[in-house]
Amino acid sequence: MSADQVLARITEFIRESFLDGDPKGELDEASPLLEWGVLNSMNTAVLLNFLREDLGVNVPPAAINRARFKNVGTITALVVELMDASGAARLEGSEAR
Amino acid sequence: MSTDYDYDVAIIGAGPAGSSAAAYLAKAGMSVAVFESEIFPREHVGESLVPATTRVLLETGAMEAVENAGFPKKYGAAWTSAQSRNVIANVFNKFSHELGSAEIQFNERDQPGVDRDYTFHVDRGRFDLILLKHAESVGAKVFQGVRVLNADFDDPQKVTLTVRLGPREVPISARMLIDASGRQTMLGRQLKVKVADPVFDQYAVHAWFEGLDRKALAFNFEKSDYIYIHFLPISDTWVWQIPISDTVTSVGVVTQKQRFAEAGTDREKFFWDFVSSRPDLYEALQKAERVRPFKAEGDYSYAMQQICGDRFVMIGDAARFVDPIFSSGVSVALNSARLASRDIIAANEAGDFSRERFAAYERVIRNGVRNWYEFISVYYRLNILFTTFVQDPRYRLDVVRLLQGELYDDEEPEVLRIMRETVAAVEEDETHLWHEHLGTLRAPTAAPAF
Repeated sequence: MSADQVLARITEFIRESFLDGDPKGELDEASPLLEWGVLNSMNTAVLLNFLREDLGVNVPPAAINRARFKNVGTITALVVELMDASGAARLEGSEAR
Repeated sequence: MSTDYDYDVAIIGAGPAGSSAAAYLAKAGMSVAVFESEIFPREHVGESLVPATTRVLLETGAMEAVENAGFPKKYGAAWTSAQSRNVIANVFNKFSHELGSAEIQFNERDQPGVDRDYTFHVDRGRFDLILLKHAESVGAKVFQGVRVLNADFDDPQKVTLTVRLGPREVPISARMLIDASGRQTMLGRQLKVKVADPVFDQYAVHAWFEGLDRKALAFNFEKSDYIYIHFLPISDTWVWQIPISDTVTSVGVVTQKQRFAEAGTDREKFFWDFVSSRPDLYEALQKAERVRPFKAEGDYSYAMQQICGDRFVMIGDAARFVDPIFSSGVSVALNSARLASRDIIAANEAGDFSRERFAAYERVIRNGVRNWYEFISVYYRLNILFTTFVQDPRYRLDVVRLLQGELYDDEEPEVLRIMRETVAAVEEDETHLWHEHLGTLRAPTAAPAF
């Protein structure tokens, strides 16, 4: 999945789950989710579940902080980083065999 | 001389630990006497069981009578928090993924020696009497209303108890002694080996309520007979909700003793003040009728430097008491009776009741209770973050296993280490989105040595 696709999936999920579909189209890559109160600790748990079940990404607990969850852009960067890391691990695993 | 004693084994206390040990040993052909200071039935806290008790009830043969008693069946456990009611409306259908709310069913995981997918919530007055009558029916002698005052180990061939019977004090001798005296810890106090837990100085106030609308507090009506653990928005404080019958519910508030002392109030006011921090719970309870007086339980959480020795073992609460958050009490009682009885039967066959005969019991029960303790310690730190582990498919079955009470035989379960790492990660980072949710109870970094 490309970074653009990840960005689109996360944006859509946040729009539908936390912003009533975002009818005025206010959400963009840099919208301050924490300052807006769109992401609170409760919604973060719901978002993490989406990332795990729909995108196959397990976010380690150490990464669940204000810097990484600042906006859709930073969350996308985190998810892409984790996808690359697990892809690399899978590759190494298959070479080892 | 083989006839120079009254019984093979004397047991102090007729609670679930003492009755189960009596049944195991009597069934193995040993002569057993149980001494109980109260007259059964009597009230007792610790009303919810875990499936790890099933194996013992089947082995002793008490299960049939327990099944016939009609206790509410317990198929699982559920958690709620104040958070779960504030969630944004259009994700409410995703409630099972919220922070602070979760539920598990025991049948999600197969458990060795357990042949049914439920356990029970019990009225301990009735339950304990059933187990005691069963022990009697398989050959144990039962003496109620008699208090054991002292145990004398001076004679290397036997133990002599001083038992108060009405106005007299009577000597009773046995080849060995089982202390199942519960939180009275008769032998632990006599031998001065009892050590209070410095961290979990907890305190509970509880009562029974008639007509509590359990469905109003459940996410899922069909699961209203689960045990419910309600997080209160007060640090390290929670409420148990346990069905006792179709209409009666046991409800208790557990907090740190120091909070109760600070509140400087009576039990009833304390209970309602704390419950009112969860308006949903408060309203439902106000509509119900309290049918038993408020009772308090202190003296929480202690360990023993020694749980067995020449001619004695301690079992159940007499050996160790940990915070009751996961309904571990009756499970520790029954499983310590099972493990100790195995060693005692072997000791009897060898004609040797010295301490090393009980090494297997000591190792396994200490391992099991250490695992319970680690689980409880990290649970209080995780607070509502605990539910993220229940919801995570990578850890869910490991958590179910712990909640089933399946933790005696193995090394520390991996999930406990991961929980501790999570606590550390959240704790170290003040910008962590869950930082504010951590509990404040801190267990020592090193596991207790006993």
